[in-house]
Amino acid sequence: MGKVKIKRKSTLIDMTAMSDVTVLLLTFFMLTSTFLQKEPVTVITPSSVSEIKVPTSNVAQVLVSPQGKVFMSLLGDADPENAEKWGSEPLRREVLKTAAADYEAKTGKKTGITSADLDKFAKNASFGVPLDKMHEFLLLETAKQDEFLGQTVDKPVIMGNLTPKDTGIPFKDIAYTDKDGNKLTTNEFQIWMRAIYNSSNDNIREAVQKGEGIAVKSDRGTKFETIHQVLDNLQTIKMNKFSVMTALKTEAD
Amino acid sequence: MAQVEQSSGDGKKKKGAQKKMAIHVDFTPMVDMNMLLITFFMLCTTMIKSQTLSIALPTNEKLEQNELQKAKESEAITLILDTEYDDNGGVKGNTVYYYTGKPVVEYNGTDVVSSNLEATEFIGNDGHTQQGIRKILHDRNRGVLIDVEKKRQEWREKKITEEQFQEAAKKIRNSDDYERPVVIIKPLPGASWESVISALDEMQINQISRYQLGNLSETDEAMVSDYKIKHPKK
Repeated sequence: MGKVKIKRKSTLIDMTAMSDVTVLLLTFFMLTSTFLQKEPVTVITPSSVSEIKVPTSNVAQVLVSPQGKVFMSLLGDADPENAEKWGSEPLRREVLKTAAADYEAKTGKKTGITSADLDKFAKNASFGVPLDKMHEFLLLETAKQDEFLGQTVDKPVIMGNLTPKDTGIPFKDIAYTDKDGNKLTTNEFQIWMRAIYNSSNDNIREAVQKGEGIAVKSDRGTKFETIHQVLDNLQTIKMNKFSVMTALKTEAD
Repeated sequence: MAQVEQSSGDGKKKKGAQKKMAIHVDFTPMVDMNMLLITFFMLCTTMIKSQTLSIALPTNEKLEQNELQKAKESEAITLILDTEYDDNGGVKGNTVYYYTGKPVVEYNGTDVVSSNLEATEFIGNDGHTQQGIRKILHDRNRGVLIDVEKKRQEWREKKITEEQFQEAAKKIRNSDDYERPVVIIKPLPGASWESVISALDEMQINQISRYQLGNLSETDEAMVSDYKIKHPKK
């Protein structure tokens, strides 16, 4: 009796084709997508029919959380030729320096911002703490900074002297007297915006004048009274042309 | 895992003949790695780039107000925005109250008896028919829209370039030959950002060149609260 021989089939599958497909997919994703920006609060922007793309350089983005906290992020010139003096990092460095000096001159308070703080600040994409707490905030590790900025009402985070009310750029009036003796008021938001406008980067100034340099971003459910303070302050410093971030409207809308 | 297998023919081979090699490389780990990379890219990136909508606010100096009063009464249309929220703070619905020309209000003491305020909503097209506030604005800016559409048709038929079309459309939008509305958008403090953007968006859709964000007057508020009392939500 002959034994019935079961043929042993090889279980090896040729993965070459599969590999080809995955590499193609990977290439597609790498080319078409942009990385998500790290933001203190996630917002869903309202939709509009406007097809103008968000600029990726020379823009100050003002993010308004539904609770009315204001964060800013700053992008400098993307042109490699200008990177040395107008790129994001030198720009942020300069803006913090100007803003802190302006704040000190107007309030008489010391901010205590050191050169090391400027270096750290230059690497942060977004910011939003009062200027007098900036030094302490910048001493924290990056992860702690994110945790502090991203805190919610239900889970307050307290770090040293930094309390939940120290998130966001304050809009508290700062009264000062200018060199002609006029009594005026300003606030930290205005100080920041002026510092950005008056920076040595000519391209961002031009963008702000054209209305492309400031992008206001907020959640669709945010109440108008919350955003109104931002719009109102922009009007006060005569930056009445700006853009708002929206998503593309779908056919159903 | 690359395997070099000797071809399993009959063992008898001519001397000197080159050995035929079948080379199998196992691509499974490669696929694994690629899949991980794809997952990473899918989770950490976004495909959609946000769009921007540009707005110009009037200066805080009260010049624009006079400018606006100069505008013909028949051309003015005021939109008052309001939003309802659900229990979680999400937007339930946006309402647009509107009146044309000046507010016409009849008072009985301090109570509003009647006004020319009406309510509608933001709603997309039903096929080619405009609905809600879009229809109202569309009807008031008809002349401009028809002529812009004509130019667009020319552009589609490649008679004019896109630049020429944009140029012509801009000219039509700002021409005084048409009956064009002046829109004043007044969001209530509780209006959602979404409703403000929708209102600004309607200006783009309806090719309206004269619009502005305005502040609520007492009359406006009285009219809205009166409207709400007379038309309670079901």
